[in-house]
Amino acid sequence: MTRLLEARGIEKTFHNGDEDTQVLKGIDLDLEPGEMVALLGASGSGKSTLLSIVGLLLRPSAGTLTISGQAIDGLSEKERSHFRNTRLGFVFQFHHLLPDFTALENVAFPAAAPAGGLSRQMRERASELLGRVGLSDRADFGANRLSGGQKQRVAIARALMNAPDLVIADEPTGNLDRESADRVLDLMREVNKADGATFLICTHDESVAERCTRRITLLDGRVS
Amino acid sequence: MFAFTVARRYLFSNPLQTVLLVAGVALGVTVFIFITALIAGLAVLLTDQVTGNSAHVTLDPPTRVARVLPGAQPIESVALVSTVQRRQIRDWPRIEGLLRAEPSVIAISPQITGSGFLVRGEAVAQVEVIGLEPQGIDAITPISSKIISGSNALGADGLLIGERLAQELGLYAGQVVLLRTERNAERQLTVKGIYRTGLQSLDERVAFLSLQTARPLFDLPEGVTKIEIKLNNPTTAREEADFLAEATGLRAISWQDKNLDLEGALKSQGQTGTLIQIFSLISIVIGVASALVLSAYRRRPEVGIMRAFGIPSGFIAWIFLLQGLLIGLAGAAIGCATGYGLCTWLAGLTRADGTAALPIAPEQGGYVAAIVLTTLGAVIASVLPARAASRIDPLEAIQQ
Repeated sequence: MTRLLEARGIEKTFHNGDEDTQVLKGIDLDLEPGEMVALLGASGSGKSTLLSIVGLLLRPSAGTLTISGQAIDGLSEKERSHFRNTRLGFVFQFHHLLPDFTALENVAFPAAAPAGGLSRQMRERASELLGRVGLSDRADFGANRLSGGQKQRVAIARALMNAPDLVIADEPTGNLDRESADRVLDLMREVNKADGATFLICTHDESVAERCTRRITLLDGRVS
Repeated sequence: MFAFTVARRYLFSNPLQTVLLVAGVALGVTVFIFITALIAGLAVLLTDQVTGNSAHVTLDPPTRVARVLPGAQPIESVALVSTVQRRQIRDWPRIEGLLRAEPSVIAISPQITGSGFLVRGEAVAQVEVIGLEPQGIDAITPISSKIISGSNALGADGLLIGERLAQELGLYAGQVVLLRTERNAERQLTVKGIYRTGLQSLDERVAFLSLQTARPLFDLPEGVTKIEIKLNNPTTAREEADFLAEATGLRAISWQDKNLDLEGALKSQGQTGTLIQIFSLISIVIGVASALVLSAYRRRPEVGIMRAFGIPSGFIAWIFLLQGLLIGLAGAAIGCATGYGLCTWLAGLTRADGTAALPIAPEQGGYVAAIVLTTLGAVIASVLPARAASRIDPLEAIQQ
């Protein structure tokens, strides 16, 4: 079975004037399809940096990265954008929904924008995803009329819109109360089981890690 | 186009800001149109004032130069140029006939002109005398409608003089005055009418009499000294003058060449207007650019999410370019409407004497230029914010 993600010797050094800070010091990471992996670590351990590199939002200083059999290193910025759009999904701590659009339009946005319009198929897909996150009755609500938990569920539906190979979640419950956080985590687990969608979740919350199938802990830029 | 939907939603998400922005653009366009209409109106007024009371093209006798006479002899013969002989247009009836066949010519006035003195007792005033055909008295300068005393009937011994000249000599309609010309001829003439044109040069110094009366006074039994012409389109006077000079062999001078100072003044006025128009456009561009830069900054997290989701940077740039386009179009349309309304209202204002208070030409407000330049300016203004938005680092924006 092909590995979904294969990272070898990932290093990342940030330059700030004369000072260099090495955040990642040779990370090896493998993800199998259908896994739900928690990426743990103390603040400053490099987990967000690793997540950004895996999410193609940041280029590593050294190392190689392969996702779904595609070597990422040689891709141009345009190709990386296209790869993010079609193969990856993102859930952030702050949902960052588009406030001037409805819940359904927000979900469909990653598909509608590159296509130049919102087709009937896109509406049906977005509607179906909203149903799965339990927000069918909120499809036409403006994003600003949703609660924090509802917004994060819309964000999850949005991440799944283009049926990505890998969903990257950065502290997805960090901004929610316990009850909303539990609902969001249950939902992610359910999607993971039902669709076989692979999740890489960055968190420092043990209760989040407990719901994952595997955990990876970073310590001072290395996998501990 | 989905970018258009996003741009529209962004504009409507803050209606007050959008309304203020469009109002600012509309105000700039209104100023642009007002200035354009005013400059055009002023140009029309000044041109009308000059061309309304004077000839559009004047035909003068050709300048005489010595010429080589043809002959078989080895010694070349040269014709002498007389400095004693009067310069005149002898075959003016033929030229008049030629001019009448020209569709662009609407009035012709053959004239004998010269200088002289009007003498009444001890009072003497220098005058410019114009002898013309009584039936064509209004062909060039509409004198008949300006008569304030007496009539325009010149007759065989009649004279029309301006109000200022009449005051200077203490003359009234019906009185007799002596005209002594530059040819030392003199004759008693009756002041048949006194006119007031409002033009000092006419009212103070010009005396009209009939062509037949002028002939013996200026020693011109057959010819005329010039032919004045009015055209249906005064702006073509230069081209018509060139054509008529070639067709008649006479010197043809257009009103523009006679009033080079006016042409310079109109050009300067136009340049001033252009400067004001440019500043209006610059203020529009700065206003739109600053508003969209702020909007792009305010929406950094949203744009960052779009970039994270791999939405093409071109799509994001389009959102801001289209906002500029929509603001420009809306502002230009509203500005054109208010500009036209303002100019039409101002054009309708009159002074106590019934003349227009402002020489404004609402139909010449440069509306197409205003729409095109404003829309283009607004789109150019949105290039910078569009570029900035499309280059937002998703990671940085999301963490903001």
